[in-house]
Amino acid sequence: MELAESTHPRICLLPTASGDMHDQISNFHRSFGERDCHPSSISLFRLGIDRVDVREHLMAQDVIYAGGGSMVNLIAIWRAHGLDAILREAWEEGILICGQSAGAMCWFEQGITSSSGEPAPAEGLGLLPGSACVHYLSEPQRRRRFMGEIGARGMLAGLGMEDQTGALFEGGRMIESIVAREGAAVWRVEPGGNGDGAAIEERLDSRRLEDVRPTGADALSAEILEFRETLAARTASHRTRRGVGRLD
Amino acid sequence: MMRMKQIVAFGGGGFSMESGNPLLDDYVMGLTGSAEPKVCFLPTASGDADHYLVRFYSAFRERAKPSHISFFRRERGVPDVRSHLLAQDMIYVGGGSLLSLLGVWRAHGVDEILREAWESGVVMCGLSAGSLCWFSEAVSGYHGEVNRVDGLGFLSHSNAVHYCEGDRRAAFHKNLLDGMAHGYAAEDGAALRFVGDELVEVVSSRPEARAYRLERRANLVRETRLATRYLGADAVPPVLPVSFDQQVAA
Repeated sequence: MELAESTHPRICLLPTASGDMHDQISNFHRSFGERDCHPSSISLFRLGIDRVDVREHLMAQDVIYAGGGSMVNLIAIWRAHGLDAILREAWEEGILICGQSAGAMCWFEQGITSSSGEPAPAEGLGLLPGSACVHYLSEPQRRRRFMGEIGARGMLAGLGMEDQTGALFEGGRMIESIVAREGAAVWRVEPGGNGDGAAIEERLDSRRLEDVRPTGADALSAEILEFRETLAARTASHRTRRGVGRLD
Repeated sequence: MMRMKQIVAFGGGGFSMESGNPLLDDYVMGLTGSAEPKVCFLPTASGDADHYLVRFYSAFRERAKPSHISFFRRERGVPDVRSHLLAQDMIYVGGGSLLSLLGVWRAHGVDEILREAWESGVVMCGLSAGSLCWFSEAVSGYHGEVNRVDGLGFLSHSNAVHYCEGDRRAAFHKNLLDGMAHGYAAEDGAALRFVGDELVEVVSSRPEARAYRLERRANLVRETRLATRYLGADAVPPVLPVSFDQQVAA
C-alpha cells in the first residue's frame, strides 16, 4: 500500500490460483475494505456471471495482487485467458504487482509448487529472473527439493522465502527483502562451487516491517521515501516496472 | 470385450441445473451397464467450488459410487489421477469456465488420461463447459463475447450449449460461415449421445428441449432440428426432424 503511487490505490485481487475460492476473496475484501483504497477482484471462473473486461479493469489498477493456491493451475489458467500478456503489459506500464505463495512465485522464471502433491519445479511467467521457493522453512520438503534442484543445476538460482517475508523488485533487480515477523528471513540459494551438487544458502539482511496503519509521509521509512523519489523521477518519462514478492 | 467409446453432451441440465429432475443423469448411468456405477466428478471448470461438490455427492451418493478429483487441492484426494479415472464407469464434467478447464487439464496431462479412459469405454458426460470440451471446436459465451474455442477434439464436430440464448445462435452461424466445423447445438434439457464420433441419439429431460444439427451450405447455414426422445414417463408428441436454411445478411 505504501509503494502504490496513489493515496487511494485501486487494488485488484486475482484469486485464480485458489480456483477463485470464496474465502480468499472475502478475506481480501474484509482486510482491504478497512483501508484507504478501492479493492476489487476478478474471478476468471465466474466471468459467465460477473461480466468484466479483464484487460481494461487490470490496466486501470494501481496494484494487482495475486492470491495463493496452485501455481501450475494459476499459470495454465492465466495463459488460457491471455492474462500472461496483460499482466506483463500492466507491469511494464508501472502497475505495482504483488502476491503471496503461488501468487509470488508465478512472477519468477521458476518456482517450487505442490500443485501435483509432492513439491516439484514449475515454470512461472518470467517477469523476474531466477527462481523462488515460498514457505521456505515451514514446509521442509519444499526447501529440500529447491536446494536439490539448484545444487544439481536443474533450477536457476533464486530466493528461499520464509512465511511473512517478501522481496521488492524494480524491473528485474531486487531492491530489498522485507520481513513482517522477527527472526524470519529471505535466503539467497545458489549452486555450490565445488561441483558436488550441493546448494549454498545465504541469509539476506532484511528490513523489519512495522505494522503502522495508517501511515502519513513522516511515518514512512527512508527506503520507501527514496524508492518513491526514484519512482517519481522515472515516471515523468516512463513508468518503472516494479514487483513485490510475498507478504504472507 | 471392447467397450464402446461414448460421450453424452448436455446443452444444460442434470444435477447442476435441474434439481429434482434426474432424467439425464439416470440416462447416462444406464449407459454404463453397471447397477451401481463408479462415477467420478471433475468440477475443474468451476474452480472446484465446494457447493458444487456437495450437490454432486447428494445427487449421486444413493445410486452410484461417487468420487471427485480436485486439481486445486491435489495434496488431498486420490493419489493417482490416471489409475483412478481409468477405473471409473463414468466421468462427469461440471460446468463453468471452458478456458480455465482446458488450461488446467492440459497442465496436469488430464487431456491424455481422459482420451485413454474414453477409448477404454468409460462413459463421458458433462454439461455446459463439460459438454463443449469434448468437441474439436466450441462456441462459448461464458467469457463475455461469444467466441470460438478449440476443445479436446475427441469429437470432430463443433458444439454450442444453452442454445436457447440468442447471441449463441448468431455466433454459431457466424462461425460456421467463417469455416468452423459442422456441428451440433443443444438447448437446456437436451443431450447428444455419441458413440465414437457419431451422433446416435438425442434425449431430453424436458418435453420442449431441442437439439440441432448445423451445417454450412455455400453462404447459408442449414439448421436441422433433430428427432428427440423425451426420457420422462408422460406421453409427449414425437419431435421430428425439420430443416430450415438461414440466409445470413452479408
